[in-house]
Amino acid sequence: MEYILEGVEGAFKLIFSFDRQIYSIVLLSIYVSFASTIISSLIGVPLGLITGIKEFKGKRFLSKIYYTFMGLPPVVVGLVTVLIISRSGPLGSVGLIYTPTAMIIAQSLLVTPIVTGIVFTNSRDAGREIIEICKTLGANKKHTFFKLIKELKPLILVATVTGFGRAISEVGAVMIVGGNIKGHTRVMTTFIAMSNSMGNYDTSIAMGIILLTISFVSNSFLFNRTMGDSNGYKIRKY
Amino acid sequence: MDIRLENIKKKYKDKEVLNVKNLTIKKNIITGILGPNGSGKTTMMKIIGNLIRPDTGKVEYDGKNFESISDRLTYVSHNSYLFNESVYQNIAAPLIFRDMDKEYIKNKVEELIKDFQIDYIKNENALTLSGGEKQKVSLARALTFNPEVLLVDEPTSNIDPNFIKLIENILKKINNDLKTTVVIVTHNTAQSFRLCQEIIFIKDGKILKHTSTNNLLKSKDEFIKEFVKLN
Repeated sequence: MEYILEGVEGAFKLIFSFDRQIYSIVLLSIYVSFASTIISSLIGVPLGLITGIKEFKGKRFLSKIYYTFMGLPPVVVGLVTVLIISRSGPLGSVGLIYTPTAMIIAQSLLVTPIVTGIVFTNSRDAGREIIEICKTLGANKKHTFFKLIKELKPLILVATVTGFGRAISEVGAVMIVGGNIKGHTRVMTTFIAMSNSMGNYDTSIAMGIILLTISFVSNSFLFNRTMGDSNGYKIRKY
Repeated sequence: MDIRLENIKKKYKDKEVLNVKNLTIKKNIITGILGPNGSGKTTMMKIIGNLIRPDTGKVEYDGKNFESISDRLTYVSHNSYLFNESVYQNIAAPLIFRDMDKEYIKNKVEELIKDFQIDYIKNENALTLSGGEKQKVSLARALTFNPEVLLVDEPTSNIDPNFIKLIENILKKINNDLKTTVVIVTHNTAQSFRLCQEIIFIKDGKILKHTSTNNLLKSKDEFIKEFVKLN
């Protein structure tokens, strides 16, 4: 028990010492996760919206594919990414292995299905209903598109923040493709895993606290944007 | 405008839900579509409103197709989608879609808010309203652009008894003053008699009777007699 309390005490000392190494790891984590979330959202939101709203043959099969990919094991994604970008792989000549770019690619592969799946599932009923009502009220395509985005904004935010949460807490894939190189590809999760295995509990706990704080801030942002007040009326229930 | 349905058929999976050989809904009157649950009333309304495509057949509006009259017809269901914004903005939406002048929008929306007696909720978010209030807002919103054809599915299903008369009077008024062709789906026989000049009685997707309201009472069909008596 004592070592946990000592760890917590050490963690706070470390956080408020403004250690450059710690904060560079935090910034790299935020950068990699933020970049992969943006890429995933740019692909996943339109893809989820279009496939969710449109009726087409094979839609049920596609939804099964989405749900399968939403649960992709990170180490498998890491392995596939390594096979593609390693020196002997098809993109080996680009020299991406053990770089932050490789980590962004791996995280994007993990997060895109999550964003797509959430938007797809939620836009199936809501999107169709919005398009239908716009049609009955005489909206043209431009007005319908903007109404659709405005009405589905809370759901798009939920998908994006969930994706960010997945990205920032990811360890397996970034460890494989990034290699946890000090000052280069070391992020919060790989740092925690490494410190823990070395018995440095205070640094592990410090990083854990920072990780939780980031998660709390991003979820608070989501809550404020989607719930608005205690009535929670901004998210429509289906 | 007259609405003409010709050889309309619609199936869901293998079940035929609508089969209408020939039907003309007359212009400038209120027509009621009456029938038991699952008889195909809403499907017929949605086909008229071009929200569902029939498997066969066509619908004509004064001899024209839907595309040429689409902004002169509207459909309101008993649980119409309301936008996640204020009641005022919801009612103004069709006029914003038509790029109308701000002053005109303000006057028109205020007029409808007054007609529907919903002034007390005009700044509320529409998603926080009760079922009856939502129904009033969706009906008010449909009337902002003075449609030539108004299709209303169960117009008073969630409305308090003391407001039913208000809604019915509004429907009668727009029919009288603006010569709007109104088609309503209802389970309520008494309401259809109060409002409609003609009734289309549907059962199992087929039209059992299309007649004036008074003549429906004289129908010899046992099912219609029983339905009218019970409702």
